[in-house]
Amino acid sequence: MRLYEFESKRLLGAAGIPVPPGKVISEVDQLDTDKLVVVKAQLLIGGRQKKGGVVFCSNLAEAKEKARRLLGSRICGCDVNKVLVEEQVKFKKEYFMAVSYDDVEKKPLIIFMFEGGVEVERMARIHPEKVIKESFEISRGFMEYQARQIIAANGMKGKELLRVSRILRQMVQIFLQYDATLVEINPLVVTEEENVFALDAHINLDDDALYRHPELETRFGISKRQGGVRIPSDFEKKAAEIDDLDYRGVAGRVIEFDGDLALIIGGGGASLTSFDAVRKYGGSPANYCEIGGNPSVKKVKELTKLILSKPGVKKIAVIMNVVSNTRVDLVARGVVKAILELGRDPSETIAILRIPGAWEEEGFKILQKYGIEYCDRTVSIDEAARRATERVKMES
Amino acid sequence: MGTFIRVKIDAQKCLGIKKSGECVKICPVNIFEAHGDVPLVITENEDECTLCRLCLEKCPSGAVSIHKLYEK
Repeated sequence: MRLYEFESKRLLGAAGIPVPPGKVISEVDQLDTDKLVVVKAQLLIGGRQKKGGVVFCSNLAEAKEKARRLLGSRICGCDVNKVLVEEQVKFKKEYFMAVSYDDVEKKPLIIFMFEGGVEVERMARIHPEKVIKESFEISRGFMEYQARQIIAANGMKGKELLRVSRILRQMVQIFLQYDATLVEINPLVVTEEENVFALDAHINLDDDALYRHPELETRFGISKRQGGVRIPSDFEKKAAEIDDLDYRGVAGRVIEFDGDLALIIGGGGASLTSFDAVRKYGGSPANYCEIGGNPSVKKVKELTKLILSKPGVKKIAVIMNVVSNTRVDLVARGVVKAILELGRDPSETIAILRIPGAWEEEGFKILQKYGIEYCDRTVSIDEAARRATERVKMES
Repeated sequence: MGTFIRVKIDAQKCLGIKKSGECVKICPVNIFEAHGDVPLVITENEDECTLCRLCLEKCPSGAVSIHKLYEK
């Protein structure tokens, strides 16, 4: 779950990281300041300044006018419902700092640049020597001296080094404490008075760990929400509620489309492959989804019912790669039970079922009993998708 | 009631919760629940049965049986 900038700054502030004084407003009347301010649209996208979402103001009247224009506007397809109004900060230096995960090393990763306010990915391509990366062991913790070593490597010293390294350590604390996948400050600025501020912040939290942090809502007013930049449809919200029915596996990540072939597909990469294969053969998916990690029969059933109940859906294709941590028979139970509860014939409704792997013998028994067309691992995902689309076309 | 799996407890053989209750304790998907001294099958959960057989192995009196309805 990506946090808005003002939410990220609440976490930074609570951890002791200085942020510019400011407040978030949803109506212009809430604005009352005589300081030089910057008005920032609160959106879950990057590059807001380039898109006109960050504006600098020289007086209250100008701030109100610009806030009025931003509130209720749309930037990159997203509605601006809130703006953050902060005091402007004059600075002499800016840095980029982030804590993320290195998926290859399987460790948290510190990223530091002596240039802030720029895209780190672009800088890493053009000047990789300017991007400092350092991973650390969670089990050993992250000490103050490690933070200083990383930052001192390129010459920073004195009080600035102490302040910036302390902030880096506080960022790591936030990262570990709240099960974040990213804590980024860009830029972290140093003023002439040697004060340090986080001018912009970006924090992503692990959705699957949100249940461990009720204080996010009670203390910081950050409530769980689905989706990222895109606002989920009602259909997608219902699907997310189904995935939340229990902790077992995943039966969700649904994105709504408007086709006639419902998809129960799984495995992340295999889901994308299946979806693309259906499109390649001229099929029209009603949805994208991901199932995996051995979801409960109930979750698979409810998700199947939801997707099949979508207007215009004629049939369903169930396609996964060879599964090891998901059981074929349990998925089959969920799908077939859903169709029976909808009063439909499984053999007519399922265009194809292709899930080889764990407990496939039991799964195939279920499919045979209900006369469902299925295929084993000798048939590729691509071919299964082709058969599914052909079947829908034949009966159209 | 289960569409694919039927779980039965033979009341004649069952020792009850106080003397056993092993099925309730061991099932990882909550097929069983205790009603006083009597273990009962939660029929809406029957299709979650993973065929792990832990209830069969732990029941000291062999009172539990599991039936795959799709094999009939």
